[in-house]
Amino acid sequence: MTWVDIWKEEFMLRAMLATALSGVACSLVGVLVVTMRLSFIGVCISHAAFAGALVGLHFGISPLSSALVGSLLAVGVLGPLADRGNLSPDTAIGVVFSASIALAFLLLALLPGPKSEALSWLWGNVLTVTSDNLRVLGYVAGGIVMLTALFFKEIQAVIFHRELASASGLPATAIFYGVLVCSGAAITASLSAIGGLLVFSMVINPAATAYQLTYNLRNLFVLSAVFAVMAGWIGLALSVLFNLPSGAMIVLISTAGLLIAITLSPKRTGGKS
Amino acid sequence: MWVFYGKTPALRNISLRVRQGELLGLFGHNGAGKSTLIRAILGLVPVRQGQILVNGVPCTGSYLPQLRQQIGYVPQMLNIDPRTPVRAWDVVMMGQYARIGLLRFPSRTHHQAAADALQKMGVLHLAHKPFGHLSGGEQQRVLLARALASAPHLLLMDEPTSSVDWQFVRDLTSLIRQVHQASNLTTIVVSHDAPFLAQLCDRVVLMEGGSILGDLQARDLLTYIGRELT
Ligand SMILES: Nc1ncnc2c1ncn2[C@@H]1O[C@H](COP(=O)(O)OP(=O)(O)O)[C@@H](O)[C@H]1O
Ligand SMILES: [Mg+2]
Repeated sequence: MTWVDIWKEEFMLRAMLATALSGVACSLVGVLVVTMRLSFIGVCISHAAFAGALVGLHFGISPLSSALVGSLLAVGVLGPLADRGNLSPDTAIGVVFSASIALAFLLLALLPGPKSEALSWLWGNVLTVTSDNLRVLGYVAGGIVMLTALFFKEIQAVIFHRELASASGLPATAIFYGVLVCSGAAITASLSAIGGLLVFSMVINPAATAYQLTYNLRNLFVLSAVFAVMAGWIGLALSVLFNLPSGAMIVLISTAGLLIAITLSPKRTGGKS
Repeated sequence: MWVFYGKTPALRNISLRVRQGELLGLFGHNGAGKSTLIRAILGLVPVRQGQILVNGVPCTGSYLPQLRQQIGYVPQMLNIDPRTPVRAWDVVMMGQYARIGLLRFPSRTHHQAAADALQKMGVLHLAHKPFGHLSGGEQQRVLLARALASAPHLLLMDEPTSSVDWQFVRDLTSLIRQVHQASNLTTIVVSHDAPFLAQLCDRVVLMEGGSILGDLQARDLLTYIGRELT
């Protein structure tokens, strides 16, 4: 099979679809998380989701559902802390973060037999995404695109200043928790494709790249999604051509994109809008 | 009316009546509880043992969203990151979003209101700049435009003169006066800047340590401060 033929294979089309869907879902919540300064909460959510997936494997529950529960637990603990805003959530984030990792490693050690399935949640593999997972990714990506479009103006007001948005009569708290729950969903759905260790860069990198280049929120969402899908496909192609791990390649490509954007950024030099 | 942060009272036994169409100053040193009083009116902090009424409507629970739409709020210095993807125009439009409602788009009327408000504040030419790139005075004007674009029944301003120079303070005084007179808009201006309040207001309420000490005619404020210092 030559590398031209490989693109005609069904598993390859599925991998491309999975990359694109997870890229769109993660990059949109990435814009929200980056502009609302919630990056660290996002990191915690992704590790809690990973720990949740291992809990599922351990007890024979669907890892996808238990990962979602894990991420929502992190949202439930950290959301109110960041929400109150009057005490620094750093400590709580550190505690949740390390506890998730510790739990994940403990379960990894306790799992009987070969650990390849558990490890696949750590590294991820876009080439082995199941149909079920693909369907979930589709729903999550579609849902996030729709919610972002429908509540665009409220989201923009909350990004600008949460208390001010609240004071003007907007449901700022609902938007805030909505963003956190969407982050949990996007991360969970992408977990098996990208892996628990790497999924968070799918969230941050494209958004941070776009953030260097525009002051317009609408463009920020669009650019971020475009970068995510591009990085995803280029990384996927390289991983197939050179037989390298796909998640790692995707993340490295998106990191390279971010570095290029930082050197070209008009914002870095204080340039005009 | 009381407000607590945790167990510490920030407002103690406050009772205050503001007349329709009044231009009221709220004077006090840092930490006196002025911002907390404004936040209480907006329902951003819970009030105990008492209540706040705006036009007879209590500032709590299910009344809040509706009430907040009728209050123009110019917050204390915001410290917006210069890279924030929000332009001055967006900021002014945001003042109207709650009134426009969920799942609805702004109409031409809303755009017109935003443009008029920016024009009135003399910052229409800055509409497409990122908000975080504007100077303190320009931000203050945009925020005032934001409050006015929603045609409020009550205007609350928190320390409008912090982080702006004296020329702007002079301009701001006449801008607020104009706005107040044009629509007989009930206005509460919070400040620790006594000369500014003395210039601007009719009546000034004095606050200290979370309590109201009393009120006096604005022109007597400077004499009062002078006496307090000696
Ligand atoms: N979010 C908060 N949490 C705890 N204490 C607060 C908070 N905000 C203000 N305070 C305290 O409440 C008191 C009144 O503050 P504030 O209303 O901001 O005063 P002012 O606006 O008159 O300078 C101060 O002692 C301040 O330290
Ligand atoms: Mg204050």
